Amino acid sequence: MAAYVLKRLGYALLVGLGITFITFFVSQVIPIDPAVAALGENAREEQIREFRERYGLDKPLLVQYGLYLQRLFRLDLGRSLRTGRPVAEDLKEFFPATLELALSAFLVALLLGLPAGVWAALRQNRPPDLLVRLLALLLGSTPVFFLAILLLDLLHRRLGLLPGPGRLDPFLLPPPRVTGMVSLDALLAGDWAAFRDALAHLVLPAFVLGSASAALLARMVRAAMLEVLSQDYIRTVWAKGLSERQVVLRHALKNAALPVLTLLGGLLGGLLSGAVLTETIFSWPGLGRYVTQSATSLDFPAVMGVTLLVGVVYSLLNLLVDLLYALLDPRIRYA
Amino acid sequence: MPRLLRRFLRNPGAVLGLALLLVLLLVAALGPALVGDPLEQNIGERLRPPGPAHPLGTDQLGRDVLARVVHGARISLGVGFGVVLLASALGVAVGLLAGGLGGFWDNLLMRLTDVFFAFPSLILAMAIAAALGPNLTNTVLAVALVTWPIYARLVRAQVLALREREFVEAARALGAGQGRILLKHLLPNSLTPVLVQASYEVGSAILTAAGLSFIGFGAQPPTPEWGAMVAETRNYMAEAPWAATAPAVAILLTVLAFNLLGDGLRDALDPRGR
Amino acid sequence: MKRGFLGLALTVLAAMGLAQDRTQVLVYGGDFTDLITLDPQVVYEFSGVLIADNLYETLVRFEGNDLSTLRPGLAESWKVDRGKEEWILTFKLRKGSRFSTGREVTAKDVVFSFERALALKGPGSFLFTEIAGLKPGATKALDPYTVEVRIPKTASPQSFLSILTFTIGGVVDSEEVQKNAKGGDYGKDFLSSNSAGSGPYRLVRWDRGSQVLLEANPYARVKPKTPRVILRYIQEPAVLRTALESGEVDIAEGLTPEALKAIAANPRFKVLRAETLRLQYLGMNMKAGSPFAHPKVREAVRYAVNQDELIQGLLQGNALKIQTFIPKGLLGYNPATPYAYDPARARKLLAEAGYPQGLEFELLVSTGICGGGVPCPDVAAKLQADMAKAGLRARIRAIANAELLATYRAQNHQMVLAGWSPDFPDPDGNATPWADYDARSLAWRNSYQDEVAAKLARQAALETDPKKRQALYKVLTERVLHQGPYAVLYQPAQPIALSAKVEGFLKNPMMSSPLWLVEKRP
Repeated sequence: MAAYVLKRLGYALLVGLGITFITFFVSQVIPIDPAVAALGENAREEQIREFRERYGLDKPLLVQYGLYLQRLFRLDLGRSLRTGRPVAEDLKEFFPATLELALSAFLVALLLGLPAGVWAALRQNRPPDLLVRLLALLLGSTPVFFLAILLLDLLHRRLGLLPGPGRLDPFLLPPPRVTGMVSLDALLAGDWAAFRDALAHLVLPAFVLGSASAALLARMVRAAMLEVLSQDYIRTVWAKGLSERQVVLRHALKNAALPVLTLLGGLLGGLLSGAVLTETIFSWPGLGRYVTQSATSLDFPAVMGVTLLVGVVYSLLNLLVDLLYALLDPRIRYA
Repeated sequence: MPRLLRRFLRNPGAVLGLALLLVLLLVAALGPALVGDPLEQNIGERLRPPGPAHPLGTDQLGRDVLARVVHGARISLGVGFGVVLLASALGVAVGLLAGGLGGFWDNLLMRLTDVFFAFPSLILAMAIAAALGPNLTNTVLAVALVTWPIYARLVRAQVLALREREFVEAARALGAGQGRILLKHLLPNSLTPVLVQASYEVGSAILTAAGLSFIGFGAQPPTPEWGAMVAETRNYMAEAPWAATAPAVAILLTVLAFNLLGDGLRDALDPRGR
Repeated sequence: MKRGFLGLALTVLAAMGLAQDRTQVLVYGGDFTDLITLDPQVVYEFSGVLIADNLYETLVRFEGNDLSTLRPGLAESWKVDRGKEEWILTFKLRKGSRFSTGREVTAKDVVFSFERALALKGPGSFLFTEIAGLKPGATKALDPYTVEVRIPKTASPQSFLSILTFTIGGVVDSEEVQKNAKGGDYGKDFLSSNSAGSGPYRLVRWDRGSQVLLEANPYARVKPKTPRVILRYIQEPAVLRTALESGEVDIAEGLTPEALKAIAANPRFKVLRAETLRLQYLGMNMKAGSPFAHPKVREAVRYAVNQDELIQGLLQGNALKIQTFIPKGLLGYNPATPYAYDPARARKLLAEAGYPQGLEFELLVSTGICGGGVPCPDVAAKLQADMAKAGLRARIRAIANAELLATYRAQNHQMVLAGWSPDFPDPDGNATPWADYDARSLAWRNSYQDEVAAKLARQAALETDPKKRQALYKVLTERVLHQGPYAVLYQPAQPIALSAKVEGFLKNPMMSSPLWLVEKRP
């Protein structure tokens, strides 16, 4: 087991290195001089020169990459050209909001996708199945940015059922920042009004972001369940006269869980990255909006930082899932 | 093949998908000739609701939304197919080489695929599009660059499975070279899953490209690209919901068509398919 | 489970409003994403200036929309003396002004702040160094309440005084800042997200990308009418509108012209159209070999722009029609509008210039919002359609503002859609950049080398008699109007929607807002 973990860790590191390599070289294609982009309208020539020297922009590419790796090793992601702050600090500031949103969306996906998939499988080719499949198809085909606009317009603006964008009602005092996730911070501060309001603010964006994943999950769970339900031992169990509930809970779900599990890591990782569009529309102060604005102003240290962070988190999630899988499935040998 | 076709045609979802796709292709091919100029503005007629003169209303510059949506079909389908062609060409080549050569090369190529898999696709695509400069061609490039690994993995897995099969063994026994085996025997036989994947990926590429255009890293104005159209008109949801809804529905139907098609193909090809 | 969430949300909505007395909190919604620092000596972005203005005081200031009469700020009086080689400005500080730390504002804080501006070399520092010629060591504390500043004779003391009203002249608590300085950064890191000023408000909390919270500075001389201000980031105009309508924000900046129209018709709200000194214009690169080097092509462009439709149709009247380069509100404004939309005439001019088949070129635009609250790509699309009728076929390239600026500065454009605001409220803030090639600003970027215009600009800058100055600017604006590389499109108003309960809100043409004067009725 230890050897297997080590090997997977080694792979993750290798992948991480690959990520740095690619982000770095993508950032070198930018059409403009980052110094000019950073210093803006009224920069003087000498300011520009000074800037280039300070950031090593005057050195050869490979040297710059080496310097970049060296700094990375000290967790120094450079300074954002746009905000003028260390990128690591910006990430610390914006990542929690995205994590909060992605986790909520993940929860939405699980809560909607899992039961829907099981239900559809049990009622194969009957109305519930058809309904789930239809909804899953539609949600999986809807552009997320339009879903956001549409639901905001309907549920928030026209019907007033749900709060709009942002994380908290402006007339409520935000809880002291501990984790950076407003709902959790409110809970830690024991501020129930803020906690409830933060949750209410999460509902729409989390549903929007999680809907496509819920659809995907429902389809996968349905397929996995059908696979399991058609197997002999389940037929035997049926034949024994156990109730549907017992069959599903005791036998089928357990066996259908494994193939679904492999999907979850990627799903959560995809949510982190997919938050870009949702955050834009919901004025959600997370990484997605940060990276969009950074890319818009060609602030590549920031874009590289975000890409790197999300890439690493994504790899770690996959690693976690692999290890979990190995732990749960006795057939896997850690060769 | 006829059995396959029969199986495909017995699936109502697949037929619906196919029909939708045919309509879309027809619209893309003939539509532009039938509707007006998608760029013509009439500022006095801005944000008009659907009516006889403008079946889908007008947008913030008084342009005919129907004309724009119809012209957009060509663009979105072009982007979807373009991305898939590029990405699958690259992915199939990498997968074939990795599976066929094995050993060190397999390891290297697959780690490369892992790296690309580890990337948050939308963010990387955005970074690439921003770096290259935002326009449609670069969007296609960017999306292709983040989606090719899936084909590589599929093809490699197929190749590995096929390599030990009798007909390959037989060819090898007959003295066929490595390259010949790869191209003549392994490639054609590993394309089935690629085909299924590709039909899903067209839809997903259209979605991603529309998303990129939506945040400004794709088609440039006044190009009637659907994602860009939703972006441009979203501020008028209160006064003129049709302007953003029409292109959004167009995206939805297109992606739906390809998803249905993918499902149909998968079920038809997979004998255990349900 | 969805129903459960909705139900929860409903209870939350019902419970809201108990949290804080709403009349004591002013919520200002808008796109504040340009906010990167609140350091008065570094800040140069719209949002940052808006906030810093309320955190720091300057020696002198303008009041309301009047940008010509200087009023006392931290200085209760000042005088300008003609020294042998320099101008000598002497400021008498009033006693008893206090920073939010409780310390008194004294001359050494003023000296520190000015030296700080020079040392930090922020994006606005050229105002001190180049326009006013201020050098390190030229600011002295004669006693705790007297400051003396010397600037060279070539600079205009009047311009310097008006520069001092800008945030770069904001006075910071030197002790507090030095206490928090790290490695010779003059407290730049500290002040970027903390405040140490004597303004009516102090900064309590800045959740980046989310909101900025200001509270009354307990020691301030000026007590704000609303003790708490929240600036809330909302970029989506549709969402902002809903937030205003539902009472989540009191002030909304950045709505679409359509939304403004609907809001204005609702008695619960009002719309303020703040005047600006901004100009939206087309810049044409005249460099050798460019079609725009030919005066008749530029003339054709000016005839091919349908200003009236642009302003009335797309901007819904949120702008002033103007064709000369000094905006209304400054001395020297020239109301001449000789060019009316005339595609036939433009075509003829193009033919005379050697382009009987018309002309194709690239039009660079920013992906952002243009003056008047309309996305620049929309403005560009409108221009493109109008110009096409005159045979001027523009290919639009919408790019990030940073990239646009870089391309423009490198003279790599053919035609650009851009905006301009003077850096200080004086016609010279426009004349020199627009007319003087050697200033390496707009004239230079568009390769517009016109010695006569440059000389006129220099002469007008130093002219002290307003009548004579006005006459000079008339000649200059006429000349640039017909010969220059520009087609000025409009001078936008900055529309701001407010709840009818909000009283006393103001935004002056330099885009600063004294929020301490704003009151919220119940």
